Amino acid sequence: MARGVRDEKEGKWSSDLVLDLYSNLLTEMWELVSALIGEAILAYLFTLAIRKIGEKYPFLNSIKVSEDGVSMEEVKQDYRTVAAVDIHRGFQSLINHLSQLFSDLAEGVINKELFPRVFPKFKEAERIISQK
Amino acid sequence: MRLIFKNLNVLRSTINAISTSIEIKEIVESAVNNLPNLFDFSSFGMFWKKDLLLFLYQEESCPPSFTQEVVKNMVKVFSILGEESIDVERISIQTENRKLRPGRMMMEPRASLKSHLTLPLTVEGEILGCISLNSDQSNAFDAQDLQFLSVIGYQMAATLKHFQRLSSIKNMAIYDTLTGLFNRRHFEERLGVEAQKSFYGGTPLSLVMVDIDLFKKVNDTFGHTEGDQVLCKISSLLKTSVRKKDTVARYGGEEFILILPEAGLEESFLIAERIRRMAENTVFEVGGIQVNLTLSMGISNFPRHRAKSKEELVKMADQALYDAKRGGRNKVCIFTEKSAQWTVP
Repeated sequence: MARGVRDEKEGKWSSDLVLDLYSNLLTEMWELVSALIGEAILAYLFTLAIRKIGEKYPFLNSIKVSEDGVSMEEVKQDYRTVAAVDIHRGFQSLINHLSQLFSDLAEGVINKELFPRVFPKFKEAERIISQK
Repeated sequence: MRLIFKNLNVLRSTINAISTSIEIKEIVESAVNNLPNLFDFSSFGMFWKKDLLLFLYQEESCPPSFTQEVVKNMVKVFSILGEESIDVERISIQTENRKLRPGRMMMEPRASLKSHLTLPLTVEGEILGCISLNSDQSNAFDAQDLQFLSVIGYQMAATLKHFQRLSSIKNMAIYDTLTGLFNRRHFEERLGVEAQKSFYGGTPLSLVMVDIDLFKKVNDTFGHTEGDQVLCKISSLLKTSVRKKDTVARYGGEEFILILPEAGLEESFLIAERIRRMAENTVFEVGGIQVNLTLSMGISNFPRHRAKSKEELVKMADQALYDAKRGGRNKVCIFTEKSAQWTVP
């Protein structure tokens, strides 16, 4: 509790929450989309999207992608000090870009499955940020 | 449930056919032969980035406008995935029309691309190309189609990668890594084939052994990196100066050898002289300095020199090259009995 209060005072509490939220969302996305297009293609798309969006949000470059999945451990450790709103915007851009790639490849087939899971998480992240 | 089993069996045999293919075209054929049992589609394409090749199998009633749309879309998606724009004009498109959906009516003459699934062919983070399933119907594909296509795509990519590795191993066995010319090992093989043809068929065969004059000086003065550049420039000069049927190989160090099939002594002398003059008149830039380099060459010929084996023919060309060096360099010498005597101790 003491840590929570301190973190909240320093503005880190919501960053941790947002990072956790997106970490879970990316894992969920990975499981869902890899079942549709396979790990090799998905790893390629994730790498492509991170490279692109990472230009604007460098903390995203610390996401580790392999055919085994996505790992956010490094981001969680190193970027807790980044403002929650920036983390949210970075991930939102990343996920939007991935959705665009999915749409380029398979029109609505992937996004139809994905959107119902993604949108509630975006809303939740916005709620966390607005509570700060 | 029965349908799923049937589809899985088709998928299994498709993957099996792809993995046992021995060339790109066969990979695509293996997929296309089975696809109508899995999907309802109007065309299937595979783009192979390395050779800018696009194989397109389409319904026989497919209008040209549909084909254009498919090609455009595949190139667009690939450009996004490969992060490089591909010029459609540079792509070689191989189209084949087939009855892909026997149960369906013909495509309308004004049919347009309404839905597609396009997947990258990717292995170990490298994009080799893409495959695309296309339809003139809206919402033609679902999640299961995507799953099946991705499994097929994965197998295609893995097989293509295997081809790439084999081809690079084959290249290493044939080509000299510095100059891109054939290496000595491949030269021996080629000479074996050409000598057989010549010795048994009675057609002439000439060998030209080439050496860069005073090359050691280039290496000593400018260093080995610049020396390597010179070797590459001479190699490209040799490559562009011979006929299509000739073989140019790096024999070792600064020595090269040309196999000139069906070339008599006079013709091979003309070729060698042309090369010598070209080198003589070329200004080579070495280490920022313009230098002139010359070549010495020795020619041997079957049947004129009565070589009894390919080894002897090589030896004769080498002895003639020795004559050219002894005679003051920048020369083309033809083997003579006299040259043979010089090498006898």
